[in-house]
Amino acid sequence: MTIDKGDSAIEFRLDPDSGVPTYLQLVQQVERALRLGYLKPGDQLPKVRDVVAALTINPNTVLKAYRELEHKGLAAGRPGQGTFIQATLEQVTLPELAGLRRTLLGWLASAEEVGLDEDGVVALFASGLRDFFKTRPAADNAGTADHGTEGVA
Amino acid sequence: MNVIETSGLGKRYGKSWALQDCTLAVPAGQLAALVGPNGAGKSTLMNMTAGLSVPTSGTVTVLGGHRAGSPAALNGVAFVAQDAPVYKNLSAGDMLHLTRNLNQGFDTPFAQARLAELGIPLKKKAGKLSGGQQSQLALTLALARRPRLLILDEPLAALDPIARQDFLAAVMTAMADDGVSILLSSHQVAELERVADYLIVFSRAHLQVAGEVDDLLGCHRLLTGPTAEADTVASQLTVVQTRRGGAQTHLLVRTTGTDDPVPPGWESHPVSLEELVMAHLRASNGLSGPSLVQPAGPSLVQSAGPSLVHPAEQTEVNR
Amino acid sequence: MTVRTMPAQPAQDTAPPPLPWRRMAWPTWRQQRATLISVPAVLAAVSIFLLIFGLKIHHDYAALVNCPLNPGGQSGACAKLFSNFNSTDWPLGNICAILMGLAPVLIGAFAGAPLLARELENGTFRYAWTQGFGRERQAIAKLALVGATLAVLAGAFAALFAWFSQPFLYTEQMNVLTETVFDTRGLVFPAFTLVAFAIGAFLGMLFRRIIPAMAATLGVYLALRLGAWAVRGQYPVTAVTGNADLFNGYGTPRLPGFPWILNTWYTGPGGKPANQSVVSKLLDQYQSNPHPKLSLTRTLAQQGVTEWNRYIPLSRFWPMQFIEAGWLLVLALALVAATVWLVRRRAA
Repeated sequence: MTIDKGDSAIEFRLDPDSGVPTYLQLVQQVERALRLGYLKPGDQLPKVRDVVAALTINPNTVLKAYRELEHKGLAAGRPGQGTFIQATLEQVTLPELAGLRRTLLGWLASAEEVGLDEDGVVALFASGLRDFFKTRPAADNAGTADHGTEGVA
Repeated sequence: MNVIETSGLGKRYGKSWALQDCTLAVPAGQLAALVGPNGAGKSTLMNMTAGLSVPTSGTVTVLGGHRAGSPAALNGVAFVAQDAPVYKNLSAGDMLHLTRNLNQGFDTPFAQARLAELGIPLKKKAGKLSGGQQSQLALTLALARRPRLLILDEPLAALDPIARQDFLAAVMTAMADDGVSILLSSHQVAELERVADYLIVFSRAHLQVAGEVDDLLGCHRLLTGPTAEADTVASQLTVVQTRRGGAQTHLLVRTTGTDDPVPPGWESHPVSLEELVMAHLRASNGLSGPSLVQPAGPSLVQSAGPSLVHPAEQTEVNR
Repeated sequence: MTVRTMPAQPAQDTAPPPLPWRRMAWPTWRQQRATLISVPAVLAAVSIFLLIFGLKIHHDYAALVNCPLNPGGQSGACAKLFSNFNSTDWPLGNICAILMGLAPVLIGAFAGAPLLARELENGTFRYAWTQGFGRERQAIAKLALVGATLAVLAGAFAALFAWFSQPFLYTEQMNVLTETVFDTRGLVFPAFTLVAFAIGAFLGMLFRRIIPAMAATLGVYLALRLGAWAVRGQYPVTAVTGNADLFNGYGTPRLPGFPWILNTWYTGPGGKPANQSVVSKLLDQYQSNPHPKLSLTRTLAQQGVTEWNRYIPLSRFWPMQFIEAGWLLVLALALVAATVWLVRRRAA
């Protein structure tokens, strides 16, 4: 079945076993596309009916994802036309990325010394991540779209 | 607006009640999944909502208060019964013509285009089409009527996986385009998890669970911890199902929100829709399943309104 | 995927206006096509048969139109014509008349029983009764359209049969007032067809199965027909009581048919009841040796016995037809109303 792609630059896909709720997966994919440059301000997000036809999910789920993006200030709906990107995500510069990566590898080495295996590392990181972002004030997630709440990628 | 409202609805055939004491309010613009074992009362509810049968007790109204089966209800509600009945010796084109004559509004170009896209020939007798094609034909006729409520009785049961996905995609697209509300029944929960907004669970002619899926998933958790503490922990919570092992026990509990404190030493996991439904069904049956599973304490969840529990705060919930 | 070409229906607070009745024309035709084609086809085939043999019967009767009717008064040639007529034409006519008596119930059961019951048997009512054009109105439309068609066809067919059997009235082998013949004529034949159709449709809806409904329709129809015969003589078309000579004797040609005699009794001189044994002797005498010119009545009168009859004259035929067709029509309408009521009430 060929899907009419319309004017959208990206296509969504779902990972049903990831444990991540569907609407969040859509949000994350938009944010990833923004980071990687597939989406720029002014681009139109896929029409709800196209997403629904392709993925066989509930349109309310897609609407929820788009509302979340609007709430974060990343997108805005234009009545009768669709939902459009209206902001970018801060690109983390390459040196910053490299520095973070070095720190991470160092921490992983410490974890291995203590005797934590791969699953243990993942569990520890996941719970820490959850607690970290839970304590952030809500204002961080609205208005400026500087931080994305990206799950474990 | 509530697209379906029932109050104390019941239906009796002879001496036995096929459905009893059902009170529901299903919000509009959503897909309500109706699940439960065979004979639980799903078809009975659907037949009464479509206006095909008359309640023995209680009432059922649709589309914001119209009596089910009244002219306004018939106009706005489309029903596809189990086995997608069509006139076997009429062609698809004849069925289009017939449905157009029998209804106020009918989108003929849409119906023709859809049938062409699905590869269903207009001249062939409907009885000669495959099961999947007959289902799609029945769905096309229903959708072309542009109803505000679409009732589908076990539409996926006889379809192969591709046909199933095509059917669901068509239904989802109709929701996206028209905002049509859907009531869809199945005895398989897994395939509905991606599409259901609202869940209705029937077992043994009674309503067991009714509520928005987000709310239901938000207020159920699976707690895992040592068996030694299981009874103490269980006594402080509303337990739907217990699975007790020698050292480790799982408790499926109902909470008031995701932020309830987890007992120390216990883990808390989200619950999938299928797990939730199965747990409630087993609880209502008082069944003891395979060796590790023991029946939970009675926790029949009778719905008194649209949502099962009203969470104290609306937290973002897993979907 | 395909795009909608119509806007979605707006929310409505009141019921929409009912769809026009003419919307049911094509659906009824298409769904009842088998019946609406096969019944006229069968009637047409039978009509051709009646036409061919009717012409023969009329031709054979024309040959003996001037022959006297009583066997004793016939010449050799006349006797041969009569013998031919009675051995070839009359048996055929008789059989056709008997079959005509069954025709209404055959047509009615065949067309009526499946009209609504087929939907219930097939499960297609789950489609039909959830469309915007409500189930009661659909039933009314179907019953009216098919019923009217059958009534018209039956009326035409009855007219053809009347022509076919006309000569038998002149030979007095049939009388329009007798039960079996009266049913095949005029308005009563189509009325019976309509009632049989209504019975079939009603029982189909009651039993929800076609074959039992057909069988039951046959039984109910036969009972109804017997009831009609019993009631027919009581119609307020006045029966006449008199001692007029109803038969002019065998020698002269007469009107097609004779009155329907309800009672006969005999009086002697002075108006007193006649002596039964005397009357019996006279009757026996006349039977064994009928007078060529004098009727039985005149013969008895000559012996001082007056024959009295309470009878319905032939002229009462049409008034009786109207009365009977009238109450049959009322019955048909009542059955249709009951059928629609069943449609309204019957649940999945």
